[in-house]
Amino acid sequence: MFDRIWCMIVKEFLQLRRDKYARFRLLVPPIIQMLVYGYAATFDVNRVQIAVMDFDHSQESRDLLSRFAFTGRFEVAKILSNEQELKSLIGRSNIPMALKIEPGFAELLRKGQTAHLQVIVDGTNSNTALIAVGYVNQIADQFSQDYARDRLNQLTPALAATVPQITLEQRPWYNPDLNSQWFFVPGVIGSITLMMVVTLTAFAIVREREIGTLEQVMVTPIRPFEFILGKTIPFFVVGLADVILVAVVGTLWFQVPFRGNVLVLLLGVVLFLLSTLNVGLLISTLSSTQQQAFVLGFFFLNPAFTLSGFAFPITSMPKAMQMITYLDPLRYFLVILRGTFLKGVGLDILWPQMLALALLTSILLLVSVARFRKSMD
Amino acid sequence: MNDAPSIVVDQLVKQFGAFIAVNQVSFQIRAGEIFGLLGPNGSGKSTVIRMLCGLLTPSSGSATVVGFDAARQAEEVRQHIGYMSQKFSLYNDLTAIENLQFFGGLYGVKGRALDERIAWAIKMSGLAGSEQLLTGELSGGWKQRLALGCAVLHRPQVLFLDEPTAGVDPLSRRQFWELIHQMSREGVTTLITTHYMDEAEYCNRLALIDEGRIVEMGTPTEIKQTAIKGDLLLIECSPLGGGLAAIKQAPGVLDASVFGAALHVVVSAGRQPLTELPAFLAAHDVRVGRIEPISPSLEDAFVSLTGSRALGSEPSQ
Amino acid sequence: MNLRRTAAMSRKEFTQVRRDPYSLIVVLFLPLIQILLLGYGARLDANHIPVYVLDQEGSQDSQALLKAFQASPYFDVIKAVNNYHALVRAIDADQCKLGIVIPWNFSERLDDAGRTSVQAIVDGTDDNSAQLAEGYAQAVVATYASNVQLDWFARHGISQQATIPLSVDYRTWFNEDLESKNFIIPGTVALVMALMGALLSSLTIAREWERGTMEQLIATPVTALEIMVGKLVPYLGIGLADATLCAVFAVGWFEVPFRGGLGAFFLATTLFLIVILGIGYMISVATKSQLGASQYALLVTLLPTSMLSGFAFPIDQMPAPIRAITYLVYSRYYVSALKRVFLSSAGINDLVPEVVAMTIYALVIGFFATRAFHKSLQ
Repeated sequence: MFDRIWCMIVKEFLQLRRDKYARFRLLVPPIIQMLVYGYAATFDVNRVQIAVMDFDHSQESRDLLSRFAFTGRFEVAKILSNEQELKSLIGRSNIPMALKIEPGFAELLRKGQTAHLQVIVDGTNSNTALIAVGYVNQIADQFSQDYARDRLNQLTPALAATVPQITLEQRPWYNPDLNSQWFFVPGVIGSITLMMVVTLTAFAIVREREIGTLEQVMVTPIRPFEFILGKTIPFFVVGLADVILVAVVGTLWFQVPFRGNVLVLLLGVVLFLLSTLNVGLLISTLSSTQQQAFVLGFFFLNPAFTLSGFAFPITSMPKAMQMITYLDPLRYFLVILRGTFLKGVGLDILWPQMLALALLTSILLLVSVARFRKSMD
Repeated sequence: MNDAPSIVVDQLVKQFGAFIAVNQVSFQIRAGEIFGLLGPNGSGKSTVIRMLCGLLTPSSGSATVVGFDAARQAEEVRQHIGYMSQKFSLYNDLTAIENLQFFGGLYGVKGRALDERIAWAIKMSGLAGSEQLLTGELSGGWKQRLALGCAVLHRPQVLFLDEPTAGVDPLSRRQFWELIHQMSREGVTTLITTHYMDEAEYCNRLALIDEGRIVEMGTPTEIKQTAIKGDLLLIECSPLGGGLAAIKQAPGVLDASVFGAALHVVVSAGRQPLTELPAFLAAHDVRVGRIEPISPSLEDAFVSLTGSRALGSEPSQ
Repeated sequence: MNLRRTAAMSRKEFTQVRRDPYSLIVVLFLPLIQILLLGYGARLDANHIPVYVLDQEGSQDSQALLKAFQASPYFDVIKAVNNYHALVRAIDADQCKLGIVIPWNFSERLDDAGRTSVQAIVDGTDDNSAQLAEGYAQAVVATYASNVQLDWFARHGISQQATIPLSVDYRTWFNEDLESKNFIIPGTVALVMALMGALLSSLTIAREWERGTMEQLIATPVTALEIMVGKLVPYLGIGLADATLCAVFAVGWFEVPFRGGLGAFFLATTLFLIVILGIGYMISVATKSQLGASQYALLVTLLPTSMLSGFAFPIDQMPAPIRAITYLVYSRYYVSALKRVFLSSAGINDLVPEVVAMTIYALVIGFFATRAFHKSLQ
């Protein structure tokens, strides 16, 4: 049995070596993608370009507006003199937000009434808008607090010191600077690997079927299980090499920390590779032409990638969708990656993910072997 | 030689939905025989071979290869057979040696035995010195022999060849047949399918198959003798088409068809066609060139038995 | 270019697709399934953020604060733990994204020194969700704090402080509900069309070469350009039908607003399809192996569209060199056009930059595709 499997493995590697472009395809695109997407994948909201309209021209209004410029989150890109100019700005330029202070702002404040800051925001990208709104609220709150305290200080200095203040101390764990690359780079590693391994294996069996060598091989004493192993082991080796390459490049370049146990990560990598190999394999057994393999591959990869928790949090999805993601090996791998890189957790926390991957692998393998009978019927 | 038949096929049927590809086929092949399954494309030849190799399951009937049931003991059968598929499926991106090593390994041929067999296969296919060439770069004849080599590394008792000479030049085909005969002398049973009528002459016995049924079986000589009921004539005439239409009306003519640049005409025995027919044709404005009796070829036999033209045949010279 | 020959090519192509049930399923059902899956799954709204609370004091005040968190639609207070270690473990194990810790001397300190603080431990792994969570948590505490303050002012008889000095009025343009689906789903349409386009064009070329009919065609007077255009036209039609289907689904099922002009939508889609069909064409013509074709196709469609087109990640926030690269990403223009057409009342004259960019792209791709095809025929 092992001789036959070995025969298959040798053949696959020989073929891989002869494929002149394979070496390029397996090395260069993954690295380029790692670098480009590592930078591109971000939900950061920094340097938001804003336009301001100060129709009050008071000390208070200037104070408020200067706080925005001061934070570094916002950049005052334009000072407008009338509201009509907004129409050509919001949604048509890179200025998503405008601040407007009406005349009488300072007067209301001094009279002890509520003054208003008007914010016009481009809601198109609701995510950026919400985060920016969060910052605006923070600045506005701070302004209110400071103003109220100052006022109290002028009236009854003794009391001013005892006004109750409740602050919220934010302590972001694992990623104190909320560096989005630390979140996304592990995700990019997983995604690139998924794409590559599935496409490699999806074509594995179909190609032999199309050129006719499958028929020739099926007439030999080789067993279905041996054939499948012989085909997938080389891809496993290639996939492993690629994951390691991409991971090393990604973490070194973006300086993502690694706080966990390498062996735990390795176990996760192995299990993930096995499950993606088997997805590709299943696709291969379901396709009679390479075109079909292409289609099935694509249409598995798109949702597998997008719904894996890579960018869109699984908890934001409706319950039914969340159920579907249980079938996605990338979902588990991302938890393992982020867990070992950023959280430094071990098997005691990650065992459900490992188990799920192992289960997926076994089920997929069983189905593939069952489907792949040595007959042309 | 062993007396028990090497291959026994009994009322074999294969149906794909409503289409019956193989219809009650039965034959027996003795050890060491070269048995040909001759018929046009789509007649069911490949389907029969695939059932014998265990690649397809029969809808009904049975097939036994060297004592093993092809349907239920397919794995045992495979240990004892060699198979060459229609496209001599070799890996084009592997060298000749690598292909041989691969298939040898799959058949469990190892160590010294494998080296010897590979050396033999290289010599036999004339690839000495070209072992490192990629198989995809080889021309038809070499690939064919290489594929044969790959199929017999494990010295099987039975050889299944599915249209092994399709697309190969005549000289290479001749060499290939010499190899088959050599193996037959060593006791290998060969079942070969082909649609080349002239090649079928090289087989010990033939079965003519058309539309899934066996139309006739026997040695090539037997078939040629019994198929044609009457005398066979070759008539060169002009116009050819007009001549064909006319001669079919002629008295005593049982059948006529176009073969290359001439007509083959079957005349019932006991007439004087050499004198009668030219006159008949002249009366129909058909000028006659050569007219002479010829001995029937397999193609003549086939046409006569099935009433249809086989494709891909070489014109008889 | 002979129109009649081109039309003959188109008709043949269309018939082949029509007769192949497999192609039909691919072409009609798969886009819909993709839109359905992604439409529901690709969301950035942070709702029901799982929260654990650790109330070390258990006073009326602390309970009131916790109630405020529970009342917030953004948070799901799942569990109250009684020790720090349990909180740590929960965050480690992804059981909650936010842990609120109220210190044991919460109300005491408030009465004494007037200052106290509450801890929010945020799982920073997903920095985006973390930021949103921080923002919402901040809002909850701020509201609670200002209520406490107002109470205090009232008790001490300082009426002037009864009002909050500054209030922010928001006016949201284009996506008033600030629902992520409204900007992600138009992008999803682009993503699905990119995939469909690459798929469709690779299908057509591969089929011809496989069946050997390509050589047949070469022997006829039909020119390379005619073959290309003739093949493209039916797929363009199919692609437009698909895009319409997706858009109808987006509006009807997912209730994404559609405020722009239909003309703008179709123009943008047509240009985009020409570009993507051309690209898919080039890939299948240039690569010798199917495996290579699919890998390159993925490389050039799925990931760039997901990452660099503005579909999910805002281009403005990317570093400058990457932003420069996005100008080359053809789907960027289509995504931008779609967002405008869906969310604002954009007509064709509002889409001039996108249309111009895509036209240039289409011409360039068309030129290279024809050349590549020419070469492959030799």
